[in-house]
Amino acid sequence: MRKILVFLTVLLSTSIFFCQGFQVNFQGQKQQGMGCAGTALYQDGASIFFNPGSVAFSNENSINLAVTPIFANVLYTDSSTMESYRTNNPIGTPFSAYGLFQLKDYAKLKFGIAAYTPFGSTVVWEDNWIGRFALTRLKLQAIFIQPTISYRIADVIGIGGGLILALGTVELEKDIPVQDSSGVFAHAKLTGKARAVGFNFGVHYDLTKKVTVAVAYRSQINMRLNEGEAEFTVPSSLDANFPDQQFTGSLPLPSVTTLGLAYKPSKKVSCVLDINYVGWKVYDTLAFDYETNTSSLADTKSPRNYHNIFAFRGGLAYEFNKFLTVRAGGGFGFTPVPTSSVTPETPDANRAYVTGGMSVHLNDQFCFDASIYYTQLQRTATNGETNLSGTFETKAIAPGFAFVYKF
Amino acid sequence: MMNKLVLFISTAAIFWSCKPKIKEQTISKGELDVSSFVILGGAQASGYMDDALYFEGQENSLANLIALQLTKAGLPNFHQPWVNEGSVGIGLTGLAKLYLNYKTDCKGVTSLSPLRTSPIGDGSIFSSSIFSSSQRFGNYGVPGLKLLDVAQQNYSAQNPYFSRMASSSSASVLEDVLSTNASFFSVYLGVEDVLDYAKSGGTIQNLPSQTAFQNAYQQVLEGMTANGAKGVVATIPDLTKMPYFTTIPWNGLTLDEANNTTLNSIYNPLGYYFNVGSNPFMIVDSTANMFAVRQILSDELFLLSLPLDSVKCNQMGVLFPIRDEFVLDQGEINELRGKINQYNEVIRNLASQFNLAIVETGSFVQKLSDGFTYNGIAISAKFVSGGAYSLDGIHFNPRGNALFTNEFIHVINQKFNATIPKLNAGQYRAILFPN
Repeated sequence: MRKILVFLTVLLSTSIFFCQGFQVNFQGQKQQGMGCAGTALYQDGASIFFNPGSVAFSNENSINLAVTPIFANVLYTDSSTMESYRTNNPIGTPFSAYGLFQLKDYAKLKFGIAAYTPFGSTVVWEDNWIGRFALTRLKLQAIFIQPTISYRIADVIGIGGGLILALGTVELEKDIPVQDSSGVFAHAKLTGKARAVGFNFGVHYDLTKKVTVAVAYRSQINMRLNEGEAEFTVPSSLDANFPDQQFTGSLPLPSVTTLGLAYKPSKKVSCVLDINYVGWKVYDTLAFDYETNTSSLADTKSPRNYHNIFAFRGGLAYEFNKFLTVRAGGGFGFTPVPTSSVTPETPDANRAYVTGGMSVHLNDQFCFDASIYYTQLQRTATNGETNLSGTFETKAIAPGFAFVYKF
Repeated sequence: MMNKLVLFISTAAIFWSCKPKIKEQTISKGELDVSSFVILGGAQASGYMDDALYFEGQENSLANLIALQLTKAGLPNFHQPWVNEGSVGIGLTGLAKLYLNYKTDCKGVTSLSPLRTSPIGDGSIFSSSIFSSSQRFGNYGVPGLKLLDVAQQNYSAQNPYFSRMASSSSASVLEDVLSTNASFFSVYLGVEDVLDYAKSGGTIQNLPSQTAFQNAYQQVLEGMTANGAKGVVATIPDLTKMPYFTTIPWNGLTLDEANNTTLNSIYNPLGYYFNVGSNPFMIVDSTANMFAVRQILSDELFLLSLPLDSVKCNQMGVLFPIRDEFVLDQGEINELRGKINQYNEVIRNLASQFNLAIVETGSFVQKLSDGFTYNGIAISAKFVSGGAYSLDGIHFNPRGNALFTNEFIHVINQKFNATIPKLNAGQYRAILFPN
């Protein structure tokens, strides 16, 4: 058990740069190969995340373990000084683990269990960068654990739902613009833990032998930090102004509603299309409420004013033979972040991305999946709170791997 | 297995190196000739801060910071009349620079306060000439230099800050500046002409007439532009927005029940009333009544020179009214602002006549007074904590100078179609707090 925990902890830090805002959509290698879409196509245990309704069309006991290292780099060029600064982010490693079970072959009732990291990031900006008073480092970690039940109502209709237990931690650091007698800037570190509950459900309906429609919904989850720790490193003459103390805050994770389509023109070819509607509007303010306020330390309410957004994802798969399947896809998502809310922790923009992938079926029991994702984006903005004004450029590449074992 | 590992690591390295490329920024000097640069001004241009001229202040002077950015557009060199790095500096009243540390007041209360780093200033900086005809100074910011004295012969005799950098004891500042033959210049004069009046609470009445101001300014600009040089000038800010004049509250007289009763019994016959809590201090005003005493009004200002220990422990501002030299009353504030407006009118007209860029320093000082956020740093005109003014409450600290420099660069870029980068003011220090 301890080993599993260590394993999970190592894998927990994922990156912000995927899918809009701080949401990560790397929860299934086969889906990632097809543009992160697949709500209406049952392929493997990852459907527990994408659409529990599709799980009803599985016929297996299986375990699916996947990881997607993310290599992301941001360059910020300040419009006023024309100077550039980079992030030194550690490699993000979103992972997913799925287990599918049925009591007997072709059972109508399926059981699933999943653990995955649907959002998170570690952003580390280079030392002394121009935005140091906005952010120097942010580490968001979350793991969702989701027991799931699916039921095949009829030969063409499946429904399913899961309960989501969300566990998260956040560490936020920035410099404070007061200096000690040798000129060293003060520093703030806020850390906190949150637990929350949510759910997902989905419906899968085979319109014809070739066409499937699906609807999936994942609920909004409010991550509340109730006993956050605020730690200030300040010149001793200002200790009274910056007492170490507890704080509260919250971070809403948006609901996602997906309409999925799948089309199988032949036995060898599958096409998928997902349209996501993401309820980012819930993220209107990032507030930190300190237990003790002083003349130098007020509660903060940073406007975020995110918009609900649509994202479009699609892809196709071609089965060369019973050993090899190849995939390709891409997508486009609007950014939920208004210009005045662009921050060094989410330098988000409208984005297009491309993906590719393959599966190698070693035998009836083992399958190896791989995928790759690439995106680049750019956003020029002036933050309404800090007045930091410049251009963020992001490049990211994410190769993913999975092992699927059926028994 | 080993091969696979190598493959994995090398692939990872490729992914890791997938970084956005830095684009070459185009820094252009536009229509400027930046082969040499000179600035002519008073204390604010020189690097004077914390009530002294000293090395770190000079490093972060308006002059040096503008030159630093001009260097990016091709300025080959810039020389300053340096004070030694270890020097405690020396102010216009002969004292050493201020720093922030603990001070115990007459009531035994210890708090952070500006203190002198040394009992006396470093007069040795005045003892030798550092002029060199082969390395002409670019920073002719001279603490105490008034516009009206700029063409004064033998000015060294009058101002030791100039004597150490003058080409000869008979030279005027203007003549030394003109002999640099600079291709680009800045003039920030006039502040020192109004500072005596403001810092003396209106007791030194030496504000020049608008005509005298006009004539002197015109003479300067004619000289500076004679070689075809382009330049930038700056208006005079409203000094009364600076912490030297805004830090001590007019109604800081806090009374308890007993003192309230005593004061009312003394002052009620004169028509002045007090309450328990905060009240206006009493000030000297010869026109008020036969006792020449009245309450200060909410729009009148105390100066930072007010001896606070006398206020706290010796009834100053209560039984002993605060003297005129520590107060800018309504009449004096109006006189000061009126004159500043007149001078600024002159500067604006001449700037347009000589086709110069112009910095509206009044807007900048007002912006500080209102407070604003710069790259996540809250900046204001508050004493010590505001982050822009030095401990003398009038001259900027390094961060203030960097922000002020950006105002100059902004108008230079606009006027001369240049794209000179601004400074990251956040990396310059504000007030340092003791550990």
